[in-house]
Amino acid sequence: MSSLNASLATALSGLIAEQGALQATTNNVANVNTPGYSRESAVLAASEPVVVDPLTFGTGVALQTVESIRDPILESQIQQQTQGQGQFSALASALQQAQVNFTSSTSDIGTGISNFFDSINQLSTNPSDLSLRQGVLTAADNLATSFNTTANNLTQQQTSLDLSVVQTVGQINQFTQQIAKLNGQIGNLENVGESAGSFIDQRTQEIDQLSALVDVSVIPTDNTLTLTTASGAPLVAGQQSFQLQTQSNAAGLHDVYSQGADITNKIASGQLGGTIAARDQQIPGMKTQLDTLAAGLANAVNGVQAAGFDLKGVAGTNLFTPPPAGGVGAAASLSVALTDPSLIAASSDGTPGSNGNAQALYALNSQSVISGQNPTDYYSGIVFNVGNATSNASAEQNASSLILQQLNDQRSSVSGVSLDQEAANLVQYQDAYSASAQVITTINDMMYTVVNMATLTG
Amino acid sequence: MRVNPNPYPDLLAAVAQTQQQINTDEQQIASGQSVNVPSDNPAAAATLVQDADQTSQVDQFQRSIGSVQGEMQTADSALNSVTTALQQAISLGVEGANGTMNAADRAAVLTQVKGIQSQLLSLANLAYQGNYVFAGTANQTAPYVLDSSSPSGVTYQGNSGVNNVSLGNHFSLQTNLPGSQLFSASGTDMFQSIQDLINGLESDTGIGTAVTEVGNAMNSVDTQGVFYGNALNQLNSQQTYLSTETTQLAQQENTAGAANLPAVISNLATSQTALQATLEAIGQTAHTNLFQYLK
Repeated sequence: MSSLNASLATALSGLIAEQGALQATTNNVANVNTPGYSRESAVLAASEPVVVDPLTFGTGVALQTVESIRDPILESQIQQQTQGQGQFSALASALQQAQVNFTSSTSDIGTGISNFFDSINQLSTNPSDLSLRQGVLTAADNLATSFNTTANNLTQQQTSLDLSVVQTVGQINQFTQQIAKLNGQIGNLENVGESAGSFIDQRTQEIDQLSALVDVSVIPTDNTLTLTTASGAPLVAGQQSFQLQTQSNAAGLHDVYSQGADITNKIASGQLGGTIAARDQQIPGMKTQLDTLAAGLANAVNGVQAAGFDLKGVAGTNLFTPPPAGGVGAAASLSVALTDPSLIAASSDGTPGSNGNAQALYALNSQSVISGQNPTDYYSGIVFNVGNATSNASAEQNASSLILQQLNDQRSSVSGVSLDQEAANLVQYQDAYSASAQVITTINDMMYTVVNMATLTG
Repeated sequence: MRVNPNPYPDLLAAVAQTQQQINTDEQQIASGQSVNVPSDNPAAAATLVQDADQTSQVDQFQRSIGSVQGEMQTADSALNSVTTALQQAISLGVEGANGTMNAADRAAVLTQVKGIQSQLLSLANLAYQGNYVFAGTANQTAPYVLDSSSPSGVTYQGNSGVNNVSLGNHFSLQTNLPGSQLFSASGTDMFQSIQDLINGLESDTGIGTAVTEVGNAMNSVDTQGVFYGNALNQLNSQQTYLSTETTQLAQQENTAGAANLPAVISNLATSQTALQATLEAIGQTAHTNLFQYLK
């Protein structure tokens, strides 16, 4: 059996459903520029029909849910790629800063080495000349200063990278706290069967930002998410977040701890991974090479000095302060031991006019005195290594940016708000709403007719 | 297939990339270098370090050549004076040996020869910028001092040391010849021969033998002295070689590190056009969507 009242209810369901759908469209339009927002779509379905044997009557429409349109696989790819991007941009920016020390200038180490040997060559033309001897000491001093400056700059950079490690860990802890809180809110809504779309968007956005900082692995569990680092250190489990800690180590740098375990070397990507790689590998690598060069050069020069005689015919002493055993810190501490130019051992026979030992000093220039290479070749090797590492990190950064951009395009094509589409939806829902309203007016007329009919017969 | 409704991030990324390219091009044009930091081209940066060192060495070799040249030229001309003096001594000796010459004339010749002796002493003690040129490496004191107890009238206080100076990557040159080799070689000792001539003139015996001795000494100085002439020639040709090397190094440096300006400028123009186009595209797409057509 059908009735006008039932029809009125059916028409009303249309009004309500279209209004709900219109609300979704309005929300989409309002959030057109919200980062990480996934467009919502109203899911309309026909209500349960009423069966009045043998007839079946429809009972209108219901707004089943407003769902957010997103592709979880794409989201997880974006998070992966964001980690790589964070890592390489931190590494590239650290290396770009470091390589400035190896850019050719009038005070770089390469120029220092050239000038030092040039001054010895000049001395060999007139070994008893005090001003030429002073020239050698000045050049040696400049060379030592170049080594000191470069090594100290790298140490300073290491210190500021260390600071950045501590700050990044702080940021990570903030994100994991917020994500744990959002997990709670999403769980509460979903447990009562409600849509948590905008909270999920917010959480996805937070996980994206967290991914830029550290290598996150996302494990979905019932109604919630568990986050760990790629190596398994817990970050978030449901509503609980696990803080990372930093602790100063013997070298004065900060190690990262999770639940009491040192995970510094296990953080592979994200900004934290890139920063740690620059702080603990790349820059120490450059310093080690500089130390090898400084120690090798100082020892070789001192060795030749000892074989010759100074201006007074006395056996030569160290020109450079002997580098520390093993060479660690040699570049930072390199200094000239002589202040009296007459103490340069230019003579090979004890007479002031002999330049035999100055020649031997000069020959170091082309001898394989540093790891099988001459000083300039070894230094040019360092320049190559630094340039190569920087250029590789920049290339990786560019590549991951491009991929990330493409993934974001894809995400946007799935989840982004299209104003054209929303305008069309608006028109569509508005038309349907007007039509339902018209139906109600018509039923109203019919009701009137029926009521008047009763009056006439009465 | 749903189209990405928000093209702005892509467009902005394109703008950023183009601007980056423009920056790089402008930097290359400003510096004239394609390698401004090592990462621009690591291999070229390493080559440039080596090239710069080579160039610096070559410049130093040129300066060192300049430094040794002066001393060697002075030595060479001093040796010419020595030869002239010895020739004069020979003529005087021949004159003195003439049987018709009386004692007074011989005494006059003797005085002249003694004058030559002291001239030779001062030539052998030639100093250049405070260094005694013919003293070997003991060059801070005069190599020859008068010594009446010595048969030659002088003693040599220098040594037999020689110096070599590196004046090219695989080229080093001996820069001095010690007096012991040049003037006091056994058998052709210049001072001994002059002393013998003086003794002969004084005693009027053995003048002819002494003249022969002086002649031998002169030949020896001439023969040894060729060293300086040769060395000066070598310095000249090394100078020429080094200037060619400087040119070559500059070319290498150019190949490794100089910006290809025509290409860079053309790239810059392309990038600027691309930037313009992208910006215009952004301007065009900005204001069209369906909402504008709804009344």
